[in-house]
Parts: sequence; C-alpha cells; structure tokens
Amino acid sequence: MMRRRRRLDWSKFGLGTYFVIFLIFLYAPMILMAILSFQGQFGQLTFPFKGPLSVDWWRSLYDENAQPFHAADIRTAAKNSLYLSLAAGAIVAFLAFTLSMAFRRRWWFRSDAVGFYVIMLALMTPGYLLAVGTQLFWAKLGKEAGIWETALGANVIWGIPFGFLVMVAVWNRYDPRVEEAARDLGADQKRTFREVTLPLVWTGIFGCALFGFTLAWNDYDRTVLFQVASTDTLPLTIGGFTFTGAIRPDLYALGTATTLVSLFTIVILLGVAAVRLRFVGRGRVYKAEEELGVAEGLHVSEAPPERAP
Amino acid sequence: MSGSSGEGTPHLDVEELEQAEELVEQHLPKAEGALGVAEGPQRRGGWITALWAAPGFGFLGFYLIAPLVFIVLVSFWTYQVGAKSGFVTDWTFSNYTEVFKDRVYWDNMWSSFYRSLIAVAACLVFGFPIAYFLALKVNSLRNQIALFVLALAPFWTSSLTRSVAWTFPLMGREGALNQLLSKIGLSSIDDPLIEPLSETSVTLAMIQLYILFMVTPLFFTLSQVDRTALEAASDLGGNWWRTFREVILPQTMPGVVIGSIFVFVLTMGEYGTVRLVGGNAVSSVGTIVNSRVELAVQYPQGAASAVLLVLALIAGVFVITRFSNLREEL
Repeated sequence: MMRRRRRLDWSKFGLGTYFVIFLIFLYAPMILMAILSFQGQFGQLTFPFKGPLSVDWWRSLYDENAQPFHAADIRTAAKNSLYLSLAAGAIVAFLAFTLSMAFRRRWWFRSDAVGFYVIMLALMTPGYLLAVGTQLFWAKLGKEAGIWETALGANVIWGIPFGFLVMVAVWNRYDPRVEEAARDLGADQKRTFREVTLPLVWTGIFGCALFGFTLAWNDYDRTVLFQVASTDTLPLTIGGFTFTGAIRPDLYALGTATTLVSLFTIVILLGVAAVRLRFVGRGRVYKAEEELGVAEGLHVSEAPPERAP
Repeated sequence: MSGSSGEGTPHLDVEELEQAEELVEQHLPKAEGALGVAEGPQRRGGWITALWAAPGFGFLGFYLIAPLVFIVLVSFWTYQVGAKSGFVTDWTFSNYTEVFKDRVYWDNMWSSFYRSLIAVAACLVFGFPIAYFLALKVNSLRNQIALFVLALAPFWTSSLTRSVAWTFPLMGREGALNQLLSKIGLSSIDDPLIEPLSETSVTLAMIQLYILFMVTPLFFTLSQVDRTALEAASDLGGNWWRTFREVILPQTMPGVVIGSIFVFVLTMGEYGTVRLVGGNAVSSVGTIVNSRVELAVQYPQGAASAVLLVLALIAGVFVITRFSNLREEL
C-alpha cells in the first residue's frame, strides 16, 4: 500500500516537472523578447543585454519625436487594429450566437452534418488561401478590396468556428427547463428569450466576442493581402519590420505591447468566467426563476400534488 | 462504509425517477395540452430556425464558400498579361499541367508534408504527458483550469509575434539557446546546433506555436476517462503500459485524431511563420502560392497550386480520421 502511494507521487512529480519545463518552453521566447525591449540605445537583437536599462524603444512607439520616427504609423496601425478587432469581435459574437441558436432549435450535430462541416471548414481553411480566394472573388465582383471590406470578413470567418464551439459548450450546460418554466408562466417567446435565455448565456456570447477580438488582433495571414499604407494593422507593421530587415528592439517593444493586450483580454475573460461560475454555483434554475419574479407561484402550486399520494 | 454509499446513490435515483414518473402521470393531460399548443409553433418554427441560421450561413457563404469556389474556378481559367486581374475566363487545364510539371512545387509540397508529419508526431509525443498530467494527475478542477489557462495563455497572442520572439532572441545564431549550448560546450556560436533560418528551426517553431491545438483536445478527452477504471485496471494487476494501451488510449483516440487534424492542417497551410522563421531558406506550399500571387500576379497558377494544397489537406484529414470514427465518438 505504501509503495503504491509513493510510486503514484513519483509519476506525478515527474510529470509536474515536465509541465514546468513545458511552460518555460512556451513562455521563454516572450520573456526574452520583453527583457530585450528594455535595452539602451545600442540595443541589439540578442543577448548580451546592452544597457543602460531604458524605455527608449517603448517611447518610440508613441512619442513622435523619438527615434526612429515611426510613432505616427504605429498609432494609425494600432487604431486600425483596434477598430478591426472590435468589429470582428462584435460580428463573431452575433453570428456564433445566431448559428448556435439555429443548431439548438432543430438540427443537432447528427441530424445536420452539412452545416456543422461548413463551420468546421472555416477552421480548416488555411488563412492565406482564404485571403487569396477573397481577393480573387472581390476582383471579379469589381469591388475595392481593403481591410474593412475583405480582411474583416476573412477574420470573422476564422473566429466563427471558435465562437460556435464556445456556444455549443454553453448550450450543453444550459438547462432548457427554465425556458419551459417561463413559457408555462405565460411569457411569450420574445419575452422568454429576452428575460431568461439571453441573461443566462450572455457570458458565452461575450466569450465569443473576445475570441473574435484576439484572433483578429493577432492575424497576419488573412490581412496581409489587403494591406495599404493607411490601413496597416499592428501584426502587419510587425511583419513589415521583420521582412524589410529593420529589426531593432522597438520590434520587441511592439511585440510585447500587442502580447500584453492579448493577455489583458484573457484576464477579462477569466474575470467574467469567475463571476459567472459563482452564479452557476448558486443554481441556475432558481436564478432564472428569481429573474422571472413569478417563480414562487410555481413552487406553491406544484408542490402539494407531488406529495399527495 | 463503501456499501452504504454504493447502495445509497442508486436508491435515490430510483426514488427520484418514481417521483418524476408520478409527476408525469398526474400532469399528462396538461402536458398533452401543452404539446398540442406547441405543435403549431414547432411546425411554423422552421422559418424561425432558418432566420437564426441565415446571418451565419449567409456570411459563411459570402466570405468562405464563395472565395473557395472562386479559387477553384480561377484555377481553370487562362492567364493573360494585361487582362483585368491577369486572367480571362477561358476554360483550360494548363494551369494544372504547369503545376504538375513543376518540380519545385512538388518538392515544396513534399517538404511541407514531411514537416507537418514531424510536427504532428512531436506535438503528440510532447503534448500527451501535458494533457495526461492536467487531466489525471491534478486533482481539483480549479487547479486543472488554472494550470490549463496558464498553458493556454501564450496561444492567445499573435503567432507572428511569437515567431519573432522565437526566431531572434531565442533561436538566432547568437540567440539565447545557442549561447547557452555553446557555454555548456555542446556546440559553438560559429557552428550552432540549431541553424537559424533552417528546416529544423521552422519545425521547432511550429511545434511551439501549435502544440496546444494538440494538448487541448487530448486534455478534454483524457478528463472524461473514468478514474475508477484506471484504479480497477491497476487493482487487476495491469502494469502502467497495459493500462495505458488498453484503457486510456482507446478512450482518448478521438482527442488524438482531432488534435492531429488541427496540427496537420495548421502547419501545412502555414505562411507567415515559414516566411519569418525560415527566411528565404525554407519554403512551404503557402510561400509558393504567395510567390505566384503576390510577385508574379499569376492568379490562375497560384489558384491551381492552392487547390492542390487543399486536396492534399483533405486527403491528409481523411487518412487521419480513419484512425477513429469521430462522428460516432462525438
């Protein structure tokens, strides 16, 4: 008995150590990048760290008077990235939610495979190919292609399967009885949807929006073909820095900054999820009933016949 | 002690079931009435479902299906200098014969495929212990989620930024890794163990970029493995390897398949990373398509090579799915 216990702990210890090494493997590049972005004027791309410790390279991202004078471009790119990602997040949230509602109503995976496979196709299509196809399609339509017309669409396509899967997970844990209860209590479909369904799944919808936001915020393959100077996004700027060979620590500062934004969105997501989990812990059904405000009646009227026999 | 809890649980279930049945019997007329009313909306519900589905599938149709169909169409059209977007709509098969004859293309296809295969295998081998640890060795759900999120976080950031971080500070000729290795004496700066801008560094970068797409499905399937089954297996005298092969592996096969599909497709279609980490020394199908489209504006040939890539992807995914009946398992 003792020996088995110890062996179990050993395997756990070994795997735990491996997990830590794995985390180092994942985080090391970004941490090194962040450290190197704080180098002095003569900072280079690799170690050793060239001092003195400074924020000069960070300042060059927003201060137009700081070397190497690209703050204005970066500001434009950041603005474009932000608007594009916000729009993508909103559209992904809307589409993922409506799609999941459709699947929930009638077709589930087995009964409607085609729709499911189309959504999975969005996940499978290499981003660059989709961009090429979109470009060709828009050329044929005779319309101007740009980040708003096409790159936004391509990014939303990338976000839809992720959002959809989030919503599937949400509906799997959702108790449809609360809707039946609402309907039994005389709420019509619209009111049930607005006052019961939506409040219960809005965190999932919010999760979809954050997925859409981060995916678009970080995308390169789907946006690069629609690049015009005034419609740069941050990943395109980063790509431009590296491909033209203008690699200095400011690239690291920019990379670290965009990474921080992404990490920030995860923190928000986790915060919302934590709050949500607390609600779930209290019991979803009762919460929904409380929200309806008439739930007490249900309990009183239904309880006696249950005990009668 | 174990007896009482063993008896207690099913007993409660039966009681609950009986109560539920009674309830149904009592309310049957009412329920039928409700169903009768529900019949109407349910029938008419078809168009409501369609209304829910319309925006999503409309968008998918316009921004996904149409471009893909269009790639296929263009691949059969004729390249012509000076024409609008470089092609006219005359049907031809010559784009494909050109691509078929192109040795460089097939070399790239093969090396992309080979690289993806290595990436899939490596992600599986290195990712499985991670998923196993998270799903079966970490006890509380809260710790599981916390550790999983910790591993997940880097994957929310740009793969391009991570490639940059991977390429220059860490993997470059004078990057941290080679400096470390030369300090230990495993290699020297002039003759680094991992050559930057090489096949090896691209493969390593891809493993680093995409391993979580393997770990996530593995984690989800492994956490559904019944821990009592594992205890039973060890009680019955099965050693670690037999338990793994006969209890764990069959149950995690769907996760293995889904993860392999993800990693295979993502690495095969990769463009930005290859261009960045590999410089001009490494090419993939993505960079070939790019060189035809962006530099030469040879859309029809670019489209033909893209279509072949998609066919290769579909073939690969098909082969991978043979290992497990996904639709049954899901």
